[in-house]
Amino acid sequence: MSKPPDFNRQTILMQSERGFKSEIIAAIPLTAKEKLFHIRICDPCERENFTFLPGQFIMIELPGCGEIPISISSSTSNKEFLALCIRNVGKVTGMLHRLKAGAIVGIRGPFGTHFPMEKMTGYNVLLMAGGLGIAPLRAPIYWANNHRSDYKDIIILYGAKEPEQILFGYQFEEWRTIYNLNILTIVQKADKRWPGRKGIITDLFGDIHIEPDNTFAIVCGPPVMFKFVCAHLSTLGLPRQRMFVSLERRMHCGMGKCCRCNVGSTFTCLDGPVFDYWTVMNLKEAI
Amino acid sequence: MKYLGITLERPKIGVFGFTGCEGCQLQIANKEETLKNLFNSIEVVNFREISSDGCDDYDVAFVEGSITTESEVTRLQKIRNQAKILVAIGACACLGGVNNLKSRFPLSDVVKEVYGMHPVDTGPVRRLQDVVSVDIDLPGCPISKSEFEWLVRNLVLGIKPQFPQYPVCVECKQQLNSCVFDMGMMCLGPVTRGGCNAICPRNRFGCWGCRGHSEEANFESLMRILRERGFEDEHISERINFFNAFNGIL
Amino acid sequence: MLFKTITKENFRNMIEGIMENNEVIGPKSRDRDTKGAKIYRFLKLNSFDELEMDYTRSYSSPKNYFLPFKEDLATYDLRDTGWEQEIRYTIHPRIIVGMRACDINALLKLDQVMLKSQYPNPYYSARRRNTVIIGLDHEPLEDCFCRSMNTDTAFHGFDLFMTDIGEKYFVAINSDTGYMILNRFDSCEVGEEDQLLYKEVRGRIESKFKTQVDITIVPELMDLEFESDVWKRWGDKCLSCGSCAMVCPTCYCYGIEEDIDLNFDKATKRRFLYSCNLLDFATVAGGHNFRPEAHIRLKYRYYHQFRGFVEAFNQSLCVGCNRCGKACLAGISPKAVIDDLIGTEKR
Ligand SMILES: Cc1cc2nc3c(=O)[nH]c(=O)nc-3n(C[C@H](O)[C@H](O)[C@H](O)COP(=O)(O)OP(=O)(O)OC[C@H]3O[C@@H](n4cnc5c(N)ncnc54)[C@H](O)[C@@H]3O)c2cc1C
Ligand code: SF4
Ligand code: SF4
Ligand code: SF4
Ligand code: SF4
Ligand code: SF4
Ligand code: FES
Repeated sequence: MSKPPDFNRQTILMQSERGFKSEIIAAIPLTAKEKLFHIRICDPCERENFTFLPGQFIMIELPGCGEIPISISSSTSNKEFLALCIRNVGKVTGMLHRLKAGAIVGIRGPFGTHFPMEKMTGYNVLLMAGGLGIAPLRAPIYWANNHRSDYKDIIILYGAKEPEQILFGYQFEEWRTIYNLNILTIVQKADKRWPGRKGIITDLFGDIHIEPDNTFAIVCGPPVMFKFVCAHLSTLGLPRQRMFVSLERRMHCGMGKCCRCNVGSTFTCLDGPVFDYWTVMNLKEAI
Repeated sequence: MKYLGITLERPKIGVFGFTGCEGCQLQIANKEETLKNLFNSIEVVNFREISSDGCDDYDVAFVEGSITTESEVTRLQKIRNQAKILVAIGACACLGGVNNLKSRFPLSDVVKEVYGMHPVDTGPVRRLQDVVSVDIDLPGCPISKSEFEWLVRNLVLGIKPQFPQYPVCVECKQQLNSCVFDMGMMCLGPVTRGGCNAICPRNRFGCWGCRGHSEEANFESLMRILRERGFEDEHISERINFFNAFNGIL
Repeated sequence: MLFKTITKENFRNMIEGIMENNEVIGPKSRDRDTKGAKIYRFLKLNSFDELEMDYTRSYSSPKNYFLPFKEDLATYDLRDTGWEQEIRYTIHPRIIVGMRACDINALLKLDQVMLKSQYPNPYYSARRRNTVIIGLDHEPLEDCFCRSMNTDTAFHGFDLFMTDIGEKYFVAINSDTGYMILNRFDSCEVGEEDQLLYKEVRGRIESKFKTQVDITIVPELMDLEFESDVWKRWGDKCLSCGSCAMVCPTCYCYGIEEDIDLNFDKATKRRFLYSCNLLDFATVAGGHNFRPEAHIRLKYRYYHQFRGFVEAFNQSLCVGCNRCGKACLAGISPKAVIDDLIGTEKR
């Protein structure tokens, strides 16, 4: 018998599997462990068509080494390059830190949900970050600035372990004056040279006024932080559906296939990483 | 050699043998066709299986065999002092391995049995890590060439190698093997570190645990399973202690 | 649906005919267990005689012909600071004979994830679309609970589905390919007698289900009993060996690893099937493990099968083949665990 007629049907390869070849155009050391990478999609046409929303992430691949999820840390309107703030913690991130400008990496995405900036129109926006959590917040901060008149007060609370670990400190002044937003920082440990506040991020709540009926909150940082911050905001009367957090899980695909990012009944890469706090409470062991 | 623009150094390596069968060293030296590629990425400065003249200027030491005599202790300490990275290769070096059989009998009996009227200076069998600090354990009896090469690639790239944490069963099932338990045999696969492609169960032998125990292995459950299936403690203990992979849980 | 019949002799001709040009996979036995029963697995057949149409259950499901345990996703040529990527995902067409209704339903569930979701998987798709499936009915075994999972019959997802009615096979046709294959060999129209015989066989099959698992409130129970000590009880037995997920026709989760060759000029990106029972399934950089204990991991295997998938696709992932229960040395089976879960609820 010869081959049955409709054998070897073609299937289409999605861009989400192939990815974009991209060039590292700058690798800027920020602290001892973090570097800021500027990455440009090589193909001008693909670069032009690549769009994302604040809070989304990409998978970045070093062929032969591995592929990891990283939040996009630049403005959605920046068509020149993507900024990624990456902490050196292991295999892939360690290798990335050794790469120099000119090296080609692969990126796939963007994946995941985003901070619903459009819903926040007309509200105050309270952004809270702990440590590396400031990286995914840069995109919403830029967004808020680009649409500054859409929002009322914008407040950023940022907690770090030590002054040396504060990320993007060099931008804070610009954010304050030009972007017209209020930014408060606090560190857990510091010597006398640190002029600012010492303590944990919830201590900063005393310094600001929050209108629960008029505020959206965005929280990014380690899981313990979500717990305390969101609990505090709830007691102030902020509805849980107006608080957004970004979760972190192990990821291997970004497309809801590998199940590694499973949280409760869903997947962090599809229904997250940005979840509203009501959903988080409903997901088993989300935090 | 370059990787994405990073220049890769060729590490200088030495391969050393202690009390073992040299099987692991042979694994490294055999398969001539891949040796050329191997030597592209590393510089072998001390390896008796390949060349008799050795020098002591190496970064990575691969050490086979377990430690039984005081002179071996001294020699190993010298290697440790020289090497930036010390890799224990094979079950003997990582676990004590089959040599460990000896530890189950009083030492004087062993000396008499093995060396007869000419007793020599021999102590209890020790793993390398009982004597010096070991950076990496490359398991197996013998080690597999492909896993060795994988380790070398990681070393050249400067990556800490991640061995499978899961047990042998995963790969055994992936080979579509019949579980040897169903065929009435004993198997230590559920508590043994994977990565060998379940070569023993594939050939219808139960696993003996040559790769050491898997991470957070559930020994209690395995013991219950073995006893439920009618295996005698003596039989179990013989199996479990064969490679000394399970810290003598029975 | 169209139906025909084919004599056993002609069925033999058909398979042998297909075999001439195509890879045919079917159940064959290799070993025997301690009671002397054959152990079956789906493997490539070299002749019709190797095909055992009276097989009971394959030890491992045939899912690996759609989602291989290990699969190269891409290869790279590295040079200087850059690289070229090559992706190959075409396969040679092949035919699988003898798949059970539960296994076909399992594929339909995998289709939901792999084909009908936001990001279709081209590797799976290539295999799925280029594999002809010839299904086969059987009398349920002691521990099959596909009836409870509503997967004891298959209405689509196959090309041909056969039921043994004595001298002949009664064949349901569900695709053009299946129709064409059947038409090249002598098949007959369904007669009145065939139809009676078919109904009788179906009736007999249906009367023989012994194991039932009541899953109506299981999705809710999964949340209500989340902290239950049922999980601890079963989890303490669990070896975290992943056997259950490997043999399961529906477990699909995986990991990605990348490898480079000794000359550092070629790299490979590889997918390997994994299991949420394995220790490092949810470990992230820095060593934090979101599911550090065996019983939590075991719970999540059930959570995905009976709760997570229900939320996403309105059906359980499990098809009730009990392969996991059979393969588990610790005796952990869905029937036992769920009965226990329901039991605590009633107590
Ligand atoms: C949505 C999301 C956004 C992120 N954004 C950032 C960011 O902006 N900046 C940053 O520095 N880090 C970010 N991370 C964390 C980052 O992905 C991990 O630090 C990184 O995967 C560690 O990889 P490694 O190979 O260096 O570590 P290793 O410990 O060597 O890990 C080995 C492998 O495990 C997996 N893995 C380990 N940890 C994680 C993890 N946390 N998440 C997913 N997979 C993991 C990966 O497959 C990795 O290759 C983000 C994680 C997620 C889920
Ligand atoms: S034969 Fe051994 S390794 Fe294989 S599944 Fe059975 S117990 Fe596990
Ligand atoms: S199956 Fe067991 S004994 Fe055999 S090679 Fe693997 S770990 Fe060693
Ligand atoms: S449930 Fe059974 S088969 Fe699955 S991981 Fe646990 S012991 Fe292994
Ligand atoms: S139940 Fe567990 S093993 Fe199965 S697909 Fe889901 S996550 Fe993977
Ligand atoms: S019974 Fe077990 S093996 Fe079969 S589908 Fe359900 S979970 Fe998978
Ligand atoms: S990263 Fe694979 S399912 Fe979410």
